[in-house]
Amino acid sequence: MQSDKAILLNLTLPLYLKRVALEWLALDAPTLIYMAKATFAGLFALIISMVLNLPDPRTAIFTTFIVMQPQSGLVFSKSYYRVIGTTVGVGISLLMMGMFAQDQAWFITFFALWIGIMTAAGVKYRNFQSYGFVLAGYTLCIVALPVIEMPLEIFDIAVSRFSEVLVGIMSATIISDVVFPRKLSDSLLSSERERFANLVATLADEKSIFEIQEDAHAHMTRFSGGVVGLHAIRINSSFESGADRKNRQHSQSLNQEYMNLSTTFHSLKNVIIAIEPRTPPEVLEKLAKLYRPIGSVLKSCPMTPLGVDDISCMVDQLLSVKKDVDTFFVHEQNSLKSILDSDSYDAFISAANLIVRLLNELYIYCVTYLSFVKHRISGKSSKDLSRVVRFSTHTDNVLVALAALRGSGVLLVSMMFWIFSGWPYATLTVTLAVVIGLLIGTLPSPLDAVKNFFKGGVSAVIVAAVYDFYIIPEYTTDMWTLSLVIAPVLAIVAWLTTQPKWSGFSLGFIFLFMYQCSLDPYYKVDPTVFMESTLAYLIGIIFAGTAYLLVNFWSCSLTQRRVAKILRRQIVSLSKGAITVQRSSLESMGRDLVQQFSTHGRLNMRSSRLVFEWLLSTLELGRAIIAVRRNMKKLGGSYGFIHINRSVYVIKNYFENPSEAKLEVLLVTLRETLEILEDYEKTVEKVYRKRVHAIIGELALIRTIMLTKSSLPIVMEDSCP
Amino acid sequence: MPLDITLFGIQMPTLLPIFVIAAVVQILIDRIMSDAGIYNHVWHPGLFRTAIFVCIFAIPSLLIYN
Repeated sequence: MQSDKAILLNLTLPLYLKRVALEWLALDAPTLIYMAKATFAGLFALIISMVLNLPDPRTAIFTTFIVMQPQSGLVFSKSYYRVIGTTVGVGISLLMMGMFAQDQAWFITFFALWIGIMTAAGVKYRNFQSYGFVLAGYTLCIVALPVIEMPLEIFDIAVSRFSEVLVGIMSATIISDVVFPRKLSDSLLSSERERFANLVATLADEKSIFEIQEDAHAHMTRFSGGVVGLHAIRINSSFESGADRKNRQHSQSLNQEYMNLSTTFHSLKNVIIAIEPRTPPEVLEKLAKLYRPIGSVLKSCPMTPLGVDDISCMVDQLLSVKKDVDTFFVHEQNSLKSILDSDSYDAFISAANLIVRLLNELYIYCVTYLSFVKHRISGKSSKDLSRVVRFSTHTDNVLVALAALRGSGVLLVSMMFWIFSGWPYATLTVTLAVVIGLLIGTLPSPLDAVKNFFKGGVSAVIVAAVYDFYIIPEYTTDMWTLSLVIAPVLAIVAWLTTQPKWSGFSLGFIFLFMYQCSLDPYYKVDPTVFMESTLAYLIGIIFAGTAYLLVNFWSCSLTQRRVAKILRRQIVSLSKGAITVQRSSLESMGRDLVQQFSTHGRLNMRSSRLVFEWLLSTLELGRAIIAVRRNMKKLGGSYGFIHINRSVYVIKNYFENPSEAKLEVLLVTLRETLEILEDYEKTVEKVYRKRVHAIIGELALIRTIMLTKSSLPIVMEDSCP
Repeated sequence: MPLDITLFGIQMPTLLPIFVIAAVVQILIDRIMSDAGIYNHVWHPGLFRTAIFVCIFAIPSLLIYN
């Protein structure tokens, strides 16, 4: 017995150790490597700027820590925008000092204007582009403010700040690309793979569509986040060399096709949830039967990472299933028409159309994915992707205007504090208040971030005091010992930046530690200066925090109203504007909008779920309206024209100013139009039949969506606590 | 080549414009090589790229200082 156990232990122990080691390699090793890289890059920057005799090495080391990211692509992209931002900021500083150095009022006015514009642009643009604007504002503070009394020194300080930033960026990019580089395009591949596997698993399971689960909504918001997030990864990975053009095009198309597919999937689910209580059970049965062949194709595939052969086999099967589904659909349509009442029939038509579309889009997505995988493996793609897909974004002007107001307001108030107190250190207050206003405005829940920034700042000051007054004078003699001594702190800071929940704290720690620790070419620390500047910085943080507290009247219900209004306006503009709008731009814009409002506009769980439902129905309605109008244009001035036109007009009318009565009118009009068109379809020549049929499908879908009032972008009840 | 040159009335070390030109050249070469798929055959693309940049920057710099 004993020996058996011993053998078992002997056998399992190496395996167990191996698993532990693998887990450590996958999870902890990258963090450790990152810590080492960041520390090394920081020290590298410090040493280079000291060797080159730059006056303020802390700017260089600070820059490295700000641009340092675990993945090389992110570092390149952030550095790129940092260089641009710094260049513009230096240029503006020179210009402003040249023009307004003697005139307080004008100087402050233009300063406030510039900061306001930069804050607004920082909120308006995405990813690290916004960081470039933040830097353009911040550079003005660090270049122009310290020399405001001696305008002629502006050239020296501008050149030295710029060189220090460049040194910092160079060391960050070189270290992150040369020492254990982590490619963003690799993570793009793995997330693309994961997404595909998830998709296949979800769609293979019939229940995921036809059974209503309670937690189904929880996945929804994740979908839109995924699309926007992957888009961001793709943009940043274009800064890496490995990602060639073909690769970029592939992931662009994949993202767009996945977006369409997931919208169709969710619409189908929404429609099924909506029609389930009000239609006879055979409708759902028939729909499930229609879907079954698709599910069985996906089920027959192995669930583990798919090879090229598996995927191409799947693509072929999907193609053959497409024909079956189409014939089955036509057959069922004819047989159900006599049995069902008009509402249930509409519901069947719209859901079945969605299933057909889902299949088509799934097929397209799989073909692109196959080509993508082939390209990654052998460098040969199987699909020609010439079309450039644009990812549209939506930015709410009110959000941007508020940000501008806050940025300028903080600057004016802190400037006033400076002027009235006459305190020489108040420039530091202005700098930090402006920086926080710029930097944290782009983060979700800024107020908490400012609080954490304050905590981080206070801890940094304590650590910096220990270094300034004890460790550095006691143990350092030259830059090598200085590097050795500050290395542990840098490593801890690097670790902090990898932890998302410490983001505000680590930012505050980096700022205050770098500015308060004596990282100068020669040791010059004065307790009075130390305390006064610390006080100035902390006051700056408090100013910025107060601004976030005051200029932040986004409540949950206000956000809801705003989103609903924007979505309604979108439908209205689609029903009367140009019909060349592409579905992809509509979708990416909608998703971006919801993503933005969920970060800036404090939605709770329930209302963000609601907003997502609104988005889906808006996208579906918008697409249907465009499709109807396109088909109508092709039909020309034929018989059904007036009725279809009237339906579109009634839809527009309803969304311009929704009311119960208008909804009634809308539903009745749609019903009438559908009946007329169904009669018309039987008599029309064959060339037009297909178009009339398509219009019927779309109008039925519109009507089915409109019957579910809660999913329309209209604020019915307050879902905010 | 002189050690300092004057551009638009600003005196600066010649290394600075050389650095900027080297950066631009490097970006162009990098684009071409990545589209041609050369990086797929290189063991450590990051190191390779850095080395190429060092060459591009160092050759004219050495010419100046000799």
